[in-house]
Amino acid sequence: MHAIQTVGLTKRYRAVKALEALSVEVREGEIFGFLGPNGAGKSTTIRLLLGFLHPTAGHGRVLGLDIVKDSVAIRRRLGYLPGGIALYDTLTGRQQLDYLAELNGRPPVRRADLCERLELSSDTLERRVRDYSRGMRQKIGIVQALQHDPDLAILDEPSEGLDPLMQRAFYGILEMLKAAGRTIFFSSHVLSEVERVCDRVAIIRRGRLVAVEDIAGLLARRRRNVMMRFEGSAPRLDGVRGVSNVESRDGLLTCGVDGDIGPFLAAISGSRVTDLTIEPARLEEAFLELYDESGEAAPS
Amino acid sequence: MNGALFRHTWRSQRIRLALVSLALLVWGSVLPFIYARFGSRFKSLLESGLMPEQFARFGGGDIFTLTGTVALSVIHPICMILTSVFAVGFSAYAIAGERQRGTLEVVLARPLGRRAFYFTLLAASFGFIAIAIAMLLSGGVLGSSLAGVLEELPIRRMPLLWLNGVLLFGAFAAIGLAASSSFDRAAPALGWTLGIVVVMYVLEVLGSLWPDAEFLQPYSLFHYLKPKAVLTGAADVFDFALLAAVIVAAIAWTTVVFPRRDLAAPI
Repeated sequence: MHAIQTVGLTKRYRAVKALEALSVEVREGEIFGFLGPNGAGKSTTIRLLLGFLHPTAGHGRVLGLDIVKDSVAIRRRLGYLPGGIALYDTLTGRQQLDYLAELNGRPPVRRADLCERLELSSDTLERRVRDYSRGMRQKIGIVQALQHDPDLAILDEPSEGLDPLMQRAFYGILEMLKAAGRTIFFSSHVLSEVERVCDRVAIIRRGRLVAVEDIAGLLARRRRNVMMRFEGSAPRLDGVRGVSNVESRDGLLTCGVDGDIGPFLAAISGSRVTDLTIEPARLEEAFLELYDESGEAAPS
Repeated sequence: MNGALFRHTWRSQRIRLALVSLALLVWGSVLPFIYARFGSRFKSLLESGLMPEQFARFGGGDIFTLTGTVALSVIHPICMILTSVFAVGFSAYAIAGERQRGTLEVVLARPLGRRAFYFTLLAASFGFIAIAIAMLLSGGVLGSSLAGVLEELPIRRMPLLWLNGVLLFGAFAAIGLAASSSFDRAAPALGWTLGIVVVMYVLEVLGSLWPDAEFLQPYSLFHYLKPKAVLTGAADVFDFALLAAVIVAAIAWTTVVFPRRDLAAPI
């Protein structure tokens, strides 16, 4: 069974197409990245899945339940972190978490662990939320979304406002949840983050799905940037499969390698290499290329 | 109804409720003292013709009888303003305010249907109003007792007056929640609800003080709050039924409109 499945899911506001015929499947137990620039339709998709918006056409299922008819039953089994979460300023962090856990109707079994990982001390939780920094609010947002150990977590820009250390702690939380078999639907426009934590990624622009890819597959297909220094003459790389943009100057040879790296390694094996740098393929480049192929501007 | 939301709502309003209740208790208890001290003088003044008769026509409130005095405490602007803290302020802000602040989506991401969310807030607002009106009338009984005129007060009819008051302000609360569920921001919801209440109050006051404008009174919900008639045993079931009908209509509107609304991302 898929954790999320949409078929032709569409949302229009009069003439404005917020989401057009989105068909996507999220497998149970995976971390699924939902990538796109601001205004691409990420939040619209999430709001449709949660029942905040009503689809103009198409349908969707979350955890096997219909997103229109079974909205309350779906929400019983998921955790949601909205982008730029708003909290009750007059409550303390603990009161906030207690209230939201009570609304969930499930005990906050993961709260202690999450608070420890995110360095939310008891003293911090006793302070009113209005005194919290943006990062602290985001931490509370993460805890409220995950404290009841939901089967599916829908996280909208979850690492926004977290410092690098806390981002790392957050990625650890995601790995822990994945190991426990939970599914995570993760919206972001931070490419490096998606590359780091997601198993698969869907790329959306202007309300339309551009691609759904395995991160590993996407990266494996991408060009690697190679820099080499040789003693003696440089190897002949012209015509080697996957190698392009070969340039040689002052003993430094640079080129790009697409796909299988075997032919390239075979081509340089007879040369005396004194220095070799192969930059790992970045999702950002893959993403930019994907957008270029579509004739679209890439996200910022 | 959702217990967690209900408790949270009561907790968040408890200080406001205590202050409003205390103010209404004090207000309700002051007027019987004025009646006991100056009632007969005001009556002579009215009978002398120096005071226009219309001053005793607004909801039957006056200062010459204890029933009229208690009625006056109910229909006086001070009572209106204090009770409107919940009937208008709380209700108009309840949904639109959460939406504007962005907390509505945090709450509705829980297993809580929109109708359950609405009915919980409706129940809470009726609870606040019921307590506020009860405190006002308790003030009337307390003041009458302390002023030594309690025997003039038909206490057995006070629950009916309480019901009349709860229905009037409950109708405004239901209208406020209907407005609150129809807007994304609190200001228009508050503006519409307050506008309706103020216009209705003006229509009733105008009609009661100016005979040529009497035809306006039936268009005001305040016209169906008749504390003097209730206390003197002349209550009309129609008044109660009409207020109840307005509540039902507002509830029907909200239960149809709110679940069908698209809740886009907060602006």
